Amino acid sequence: MRRLRRVWRSASFRLAALYLLLFTLSALVLGGAVFLTARADLQSQMAERITAETTYLRGVFRNDGIAGMVGRMVERGRGESALDYLVLDAAGRRLAGQMPVTPRLRPGWATIAITAPEEADKEPENVRALITDLGGGLLLVVGDDLGRIDDVEEAIATALAWAVALAAVLGIAGGLVLSRAFLSRIDTIARTAEAIIAGDLARRVPVRGTDDDLDRLAGTLNRMLDRIGTLMDSLRQVSSDVAHDLRTPLSRLSQRLEGALLHARSVGEYETAVRAAVGEAESLLDTFSALLRIAQVEGGSPRAGFRDVDLGQIAETVVDAYLPDAEAAEHRLTVTLAPGCHVRGDQELLTQAIANLVENALRHTPAGTRIEVRLTCDPGAGARLVVADDGPGVAAEDLPRLLRRFYRGERSRTTPGNGLGLSLVDAIAHLHGADLRLEHAGPGLRVVMDFAPSTAAGRSVRQNPRVS
Amino acid sequence: MKLLMIEDDAQTADYVTRGLTQHGHLVDHAPDGRGGLLMAGAGDYDVLIVDRMLPGLDGLGLVRTLRGAGVKTPVLFLTALRGVGDRVQGLEAGGDDYLVKPFAFAELLARVQALGRRPPLSDVPTSLRVADLEIDLLKRKVLRGGEAVELQPREFRLLEFLMRHAERVVTRTMLLEGVWDFHFDPKTNIVETHISRLRAKLSRAGHDPELIHTIRGSGYVLRAPAT
Repeated sequence: MRRLRRVWRSASFRLAALYLLLFTLSALVLGGAVFLTARADLQSQMAERITAETTYLRGVFRNDGIAGMVGRMVERGRGESALDYLVLDAAGRRLAGQMPVTPRLRPGWATIAITAPEEADKEPENVRALITDLGGGLLLVVGDDLGRIDDVEEAIATALAWAVALAAVLGIAGGLVLSRAFLSRIDTIARTAEAIIAGDLARRVPVRGTDDDLDRLAGTLNRMLDRIGTLMDSLRQVSSDVAHDLRTPLSRLSQRLEGALLHARSVGEYETAVRAAVGEAESLLDTFSALLRIAQVEGGSPRAGFRDVDLGQIAETVVDAYLPDAEAAEHRLTVTLAPGCHVRGDQELLTQAIANLVENALRHTPAGTRIEVRLTCDPGAGARLVVADDGPGVAAEDLPRLLRRFYRGERSRTTPGNGLGLSLVDAIAHLHGADLRLEHAGPGLRVVMDFAPSTAAGRSVRQNPRVS
Repeated sequence: MKLLMIEDDAQTADYVTRGLTQHGHLVDHAPDGRGGLLMAGAGDYDVLIVDRMLPGLDGLGLVRTLRGAGVKTPVLFLTALRGVGDRVQGLEAGGDDYLVKPFAFAELLARVQALGRRPPLSDVPTSLRVADLEIDLLKRKVLRGGEAVELQPREFRLLEFLMRHAERVVTRTMLLEGVWDFHFDPKTNIVETHISRLRAKLSRAGHDPELIHTIRGSGYVLRAPAT
């Protein structure tokens, strides 16, 4: 019962029912039209037959007189579907014919109700008749039984009724079967969702490969579940990384403070210990604020503050800021800028992204390395920012790992940093709809950030690189 | 200076108040937005230190109301929000500076002092002078003891920032924000290297006394040598 109620409430069943109703209605209208046309046709055939017979009998009457005509009438009245005849004299008395005499007959068309004497208990038969004045008060009546038309009409109506009834039954059955099939697939999706809610995160909606609406919906749901799964995994990964990476500095901090409690004797010793502890705490806070910043950028809220920014100007400021540092570390830092590279974005974040890339190159390459910041823009392809070095580079298998939070290459374990710089650059690139790629520069590492043309408002076509 | 701290977190308020009092400032404290607004409007304060998130009336609304009423007292926003747009929002509401929690006390002190002695805007100097160092802001020229010193544009901006804050401590973060527009903490010593280059150029190969002094744990100060 509940199952039936569900079927009744299901959208597919309602659609089927509506469709059935429309179908039945149109069948009825069509049938009605067929019926009416057939009836009109039958009636006009009947009238033609009566008219022809009357014309014929009048001809016989003119040539052979009344006796000849009556003789023909008797001959012709024997057939199975013979017409009814009647001849009356001026006084209204029957001269010939089997039709009962009815009073007040006038020339012209008339429908006459006749009750046969032996069938008095039955409905009177209706007869369509043409009454003709033969002259001298003689009336000729030629009629045909309307019951014959009624029989045909009844047959047509019965056939139509059966057809409609059959269609309705088939429609209802079809609707039920279809909506139950549909409902069972919806049920499958619902059961999968319930299983996932209950904790079985690996469950997916079965796809039948028919590429219909439900199949595509199932595919979309599965892709969504996969995406959520990936996000959950990376979230789990990040939280365990955070826990792992913060445990080390936290235990160092606690050791320093314990050490001070146990061993420090003078104010100076305490001060040294406290200073070291403050340093540790600050680096912890740095890590946290870097994580928060990544989370915030990934959350997409800075997008609200996007405005037109000049990438070239940002790149120049950043290179300008790092130039003395680079020189002190004997790196050759160069910048090549195409003027007028504008994108829609957040100035602060883009500055930080470029600064992180330059800083990375400075920190992870030996003295003498050439670091190049190159900005090109072309109205069709958008702006492209490249930070490349000719240092030792990164092993191919490590390239994808560089973007992971807290990942630090073997060589950089000893250099300062928290392994979050490139993660932030990645998040910032993503926020700006830019494509970030890490490539071999053979030798060295090349980081390419491609801004989509939609975000790039490249106003300058001329490529006028300026080297500083 | 007479300062008003509008902050609902008692621990932060106590820590800041104690520190500022030790440095010779007079500090009043309001624990909520409405009380703070009344005190800020009535009292004659040099600097307001306003928390962004306050019960009653939030910091942004408070400063907007004050500015609407024509109160021009400099405002330093304190906030736990490290929103990228939050700083801009705070400045647009009428704040003068912005400091994200957790902060080092030295940073807060330097910023409060920088705000408190800010010259009135009408009085825009065209040249600045400390001891025998003079810079011409219009011609972008620097003279040390009457002799021209050649500076890169960024070095000039760095020197200008230090001169505008002469005799006051400026922190590394203040320099990063004011000179480079960097609103994050780079892991390399870009401030230190720029300062040491600037020092070398200004001292003309060590012949002149040092003007830019490092304040350990805080930042730098440009001050005339004691005579």
